[in-house]
Amino acid sequence: MKARTSRQWIVPHEWMVLPMRQVEWIERKGRLVWLAEVFSALGMGLYLVALIAGNWWATLIGWLLIVLFKMPLHLFYLGKPLRFWRAIPPFTKAWKTSWLARGMFFSTVFIAAGFVQLLMSYIIINGVASGAALDGVTFVNWIASILAGVFIVLTGMYAGFAMSYCKSVPFWNTDLLPLVFLLMGVADGLALLMGVGLVTHDVDIERLESISRVLLIVNALLIVVYLAHAWRRRSVAKLAARDLLVGRTALVFWIGIVALGIVVPLAISFATVFMESDIARPLIVAIVCHTIGAFALKYALLKAGIYKSVLPEAL
Amino acid sequence: MRWGMVINLAKCMRCHACVAACRVEHFLPLHVTWAKLIAHEVDEGGVVDVSTYPVRCNHCADPPCVHACPTEASYRREDGIVMIDSDKCIGCRYCVIACPYQNRTFLSKDKDPGYFPGYAKTGFERKGRKLYPHQVGTTEKCNFCVERIDAGMAKGRRPGIDRDATPACVNTCQARALTFGDLDDPESEVSKLIRKYNGFQLRAEYGTDPSVYYIDYRIGGAPSNKAPEHARTGYNMKHASTVDRDAARRLGRSTVKGEAKQ
Repeated sequence: MKARTSRQWIVPHEWMVLPMRQVEWIERKGRLVWLAEVFSALGMGLYLVALIAGNWWATLIGWLLIVLFKMPLHLFYLGKPLRFWRAIPPFTKAWKTSWLARGMFFSTVFIAAGFVQLLMSYIIINGVASGAALDGVTFVNWIASILAGVFIVLTGMYAGFAMSYCKSVPFWNTDLLPLVFLLMGVADGLALLMGVGLVTHDVDIERLESISRVLLIVNALLIVVYLAHAWRRRSVAKLAARDLLVGRTALVFWIGIVALGIVVPLAISFATVFMESDIARPLIVAIVCHTIGAFALKYALLKAGIYKSVLPEAL
Repeated sequence: MRWGMVINLAKCMRCHACVAACRVEHFLPLHVTWAKLIAHEVDEGGVVDVSTYPVRCNHCADPPCVHACPTEASYRREDGIVMIDSDKCIGCRYCVIACPYQNRTFLSKDKDPGYFPGYAKTGFERKGRKLYPHQVGTTEKCNFCVERIDAGMAKGRRPGIDRDATPACVNTCQARALTFGDLDDPESEVSKLIRKYNGFQLRAEYGTDPSVYYIDYRIGGAPSNKAPEHARTGYNMKHASTVDRDAARRLGRSTVKGEAKQ
């Protein structure tokens, strides 16, 4: 309430004069954007990894995360939700410049292609078709898989491009951000696929764990590089990095992202190598921690969106 | 033709008349302000220097908000005015975030409680809403009083010269700190002012090429890069704590300047 009022009324010596946080995409109704982006990462990661691993149930869950969570949350956030169609080509030509319009397009194509892929895969797995029909279904499945695979990656990444477009928010204004969205999303997907594997027992969990270990280390390095880049670059980006490390978002960063999102899953992952007993329980702990880390990451990134002041630096 | 504005910071006297004129002209909802006034205070050893910056949409030549808008609700007219089509806006607020000047406002329900919250809308408000139907759930910003410009030009008036074709804030400014005109015309008043006083744009490094220019003698103008004292908005102003012992106590300062060592 207070934050909203201070944005509307003139606050000398502060608003526009000092670096200010963006609030539209993280506070009040803006929390829907945060949640939508989390489900976007989870859905993207799970669908992509499951598609490569050939796990039908996991692809279905990944697709549903996008259809039932990401898209509705984004729609509920809109001021005029019933006009959402205006952002989808061919009703708009804004895709030439707008990452949001592109994102709507990517998501729409993914939902359609993903549906076809799931349907065709179901037909193939359950032996519904045979002979020439099966050949046709296999071909359609192949095309739909490629389309869905490409567009789920774009769906998971476009928010990173949209945020990095904002020149006045230096912490976001970097080409690393879409890469962070992609790699973190894939790591989230690996964790969730292991969770699905615990139930369906048709996933090579050991192999996934070894990939996950590497990816977690890569992601940890990526975070270090991202923060170091922000620290070195500009004063406001440094301010945002400092905010994450020792400021108001430090708790979310250290406990949510570092401890729960990386250290605990990584430790459990290494520990399970030497465990001979049932690894299901520690694995569930790791998956839960990793998923909490996914929520924390998007929260911290959106929270760290700090505008440069409007007034010239000559002052 | 490209409409633009020049704001003389040395003349601005912080009367807020431009803010009020804009509010009246567009029947703005209670918690929405298109034209704003921000203050930059420098406290040098108790001597306060305050600069005020009237800010509004910069109507950039390369507007990030227009590029960001997913529905083409934000667009730039041929005369350089950046507009929002409220009927197309879906309220995604990407433009609010993408605008480097933070000059866009999302109109949510709680920002429009009526001029007298808790009471029915007055006849003035109802009539205003017919003229300017602010749509809750969409984004708003300064439109350079496009309705005045279009209506005035249709009658053969010249924006920036004739009052009925000129933005309300420019008409209202009693210090004549605001000047409006065609930036593409080298003989227009705005072009002359920019040339003469080395006008500058806010955050020119973004490459957005704003149509709102500022002139003062402090930045980019004088060789000394410092305003003459008479041109400083806060000239002769002193922080309350430097002259009033009670104020010093309230503000957490232990002493009044000049009495420190006594």
